[in-house]
This record gives sequence, C-alpha cells and structure tokens, in this order.
Amino acid sequence: MLASRALRLVGRRAISTSVCVRGGHGVAKVEGYSLPAYFDRRENPLPQVRYVTDLSSEQVSLKEKEKGSWATLSNEEKVALYRISFKQSFAEMNQGSAEWKSIAAGIFFFIGLTGLLVVWQRKYVFGDVPHTFHPEWKAKELQRMIDMRINPVEGISSKWDYENKQWKK
Amino acid sequence: MAHPSQLGFQDAASPLMEELLMFHDHALLVVFLISAFVLYIILAMITTNMTDKYILDSQGVEIIWTILPALILILIALPSLRILYLMDEIDSPHLTVKAVGHQWYWSYEYTDYADLAFDSYMIPPQDLTPGQFRLLEADHRMVIPVMTPVRALISAEDVLHSWAVPALGTKMDAVPGRLNQTTFVASRPGVYYGQCSEICGANHSFMPIVVEVAPLEHFEAWSSLMLEDT
Repeated sequence: MLASRALRLVGRRAISTSVCVRGGHGVAKVEGYSLPAYFDRRENPLPQVRYVTDLSSEQVSLKEKEKGSWATLSNEEKVALYRISFKQSFAEMNQGSAEWKSIAAGIFFFIGLTGLLVVWQRKYVFGDVPHTFHPEWKAKELQRMIDMRINPVEGISSKWDYENKQWKK
Repeated sequence: MAHPSQLGFQDAASPLMEELLMFHDHALLVVFLISAFVLYIILAMITTNMTDKYILDSQGVEIIWTILPALILILIALPSLRILYLMDEIDSPHLTVKAVGHQWYWSYEYTDYADLAFDSYMIPPQDLTPGQFRLLEADHRMVIPVMTPVRALISAEDVLHSWAVPALGTKMDAVPGRLNQTTFVASRPGVYYGQCSEICGANHSFMPIVVEVAPLEHFEAWSSLMLEDT
C-alpha cells in the first residue's frame, strides 16, 4: 500500500499485488495466484476461465441456444460465442507489432553512443602507446619473426616464400 | 610467439603440443556442432506457429537428449584422458634443467655435468634493439638441445610463479619449497617464448621465459661459453 501511494506515476494497478486489482485480463499466465485467470497464449491454448464472466441477457440466451443443435447457429452467433470464451483469436494474438523498430533504434543508438565514448576516451584519456608499436618497429619485428621461423608449420612463417622473399600467393 | 591479433594456438614445438592441438580441434568441433544445433533450435522455437507447445510431452525425445549428451561427453573424455596420462609419462630424460622463479626473474641451473647457473631478466622496452619483442625478450635464454627429452624441475624462491611455454605445451607452477617436475621434447629448433603464469607481484607481467632449442653441438658450445663466463 505504501508503495502504491509512493509510485502514483506508475499507477496503483500496475504495481499493486492485490489479485482483485490485477484482474484476470493480463496476457501472462498468472502462476502462484489461487484464483484461476484468463490468458491468451498460443503455446497454452486453453485458458482456465471464460473471458466474459458476467453475461448480458443476450449472451445468456445465446448460451441457452448453444445447448441445442449447432447447425441452427448463424456465423455471427458462433463468433459471439467465441468472443464470450476468448478475448483474442489466434490470428490476433500471433500478430506482430512494430515494437522491434523501437528496440533496434535503441540498440543502435547506444552502440553509437558507446562508440563516441570510446573515441573520446582514446583521444583524451589514454596516453601514447609504447614505441614498439610504431610501423618501422613493427616491420622489423615481422622481419625478425620470419627470420626466426616463428610458427613455420601453419602460422606466419608458413605464409612466407623464402626463395622469392615475398609472401606466398 | 604469437603474431599480433593471433587467435589460435602457436605451432607445436613438441609432440605433446601436437596432441593437444588435435584434441582441441576435436573438442572445438563438438562445441561448434552443439552450438549450431542449439542456435537452430532457438530460432525454430522463436519463429514457430505451433500451439500446445507447453502442454505436451515426449518420452522419446527426452531419452535421446539424455543419452546423446552422455555419448558426446564420453567422446570428449576419452581423448582427453589419453593425453592426460600421456603428459605424466616420464621416460629417462637426457637432461635436467632447474627453473626457479624469483620476484621478478627466472634462474636456470644446469647441474648434470657442471655447475651452470644464470639469471634470466626481461629486457626492458627502452633497451630493446629494433625488432625485438617487447615484454618477451630476456637477456639469457634457456638453451636446450633439439629432439632431447628434457626434465624441467620448477620451483620458486619467494612466492608462487608458473613456468609456461605455450609452443612446447608446458606449464608448471613454481611453488616455494616444492619441486615440480615436467618433461618435454622439443621437436624442432627455434626460439619459444612464454610468460610467468601465476600472479607474483608488481612485475608479474615482466618476467618472461625464453627457450632456445638448438642442435646438440650448438648447445654444447653455448654451455661451454656460459661456464667460462660465470
């Protein structure tokens, strides 16, 4: 209750743990609650309760008609009966949304932001690399590695053609 | 040594390392197969339109996904244990070298025939000649003859160190007050680099190991020279 009052922005319904307030119309399966709940899930197609619990008088009479032969039911009546028991059809619940675009946008944004931070860090925070990283030194290192036959089986020296003094084609 | 941005192992310089490379290929292949399969299953589960996914069971698939992983594990364990026992074989090394770790250098002792002992310090970056490898070069290398079973007795004078040379497939902890034994055969001449592999203080990253494998005549000439100097 304290939390409910404090987080008025979020709304009482969203964070209240009272079962009555949460109701039975969530999409997630309500595990751990003692009352059976309704849910629309493709993987678990039979909800625990009917969607509409308080039937109007029309719906009551439709339910009576359902007890008879189904051939007498019109298409609209069949759909109405379906909508009494279920909130969404399979087509409706399987429908995708455009949420992936926002997610992708957020991912790219943060990757870009990180990239900017890394560039800034390299320029303004890190000092110089050791002198052995200069291209001339690196070239001499590579020559020395080839001369010493470092990794001659499948590694770097195996890619050097010693006769013609060039990299193997 | 590894070339910059190298991802894989260095080429083997000892038969044991060759075995390890082959085993790694085998285990990695199994890992790739399993990962590819799991990735496929994840994608299939995400994109499926099947209903009743969580309210059905299948004894058959449960049996398969119990037996198959057990078989795969056996397939990995057998070569692994083979190499493990191979590593423990000691058959009459021709040469014994003691490598003793200090803070922060190695000292090597060849005491089979004479009293040869020397220290091996890292060459600091400012003292390198152009083309030498930063943090890897040492002033005195441990020279051993090629194709010779060598026994290395590893110990330490102060704190824990670890003597490792990846190309030879060796690593052995240097424990003060303890002698650890490892053997290897260097199958081709060359220079092989390693670094201390147990945290030992401020300069733990700056006490490299350099093993130079040379034909026997060169080894004999070198040891005579070293004995004259010391």
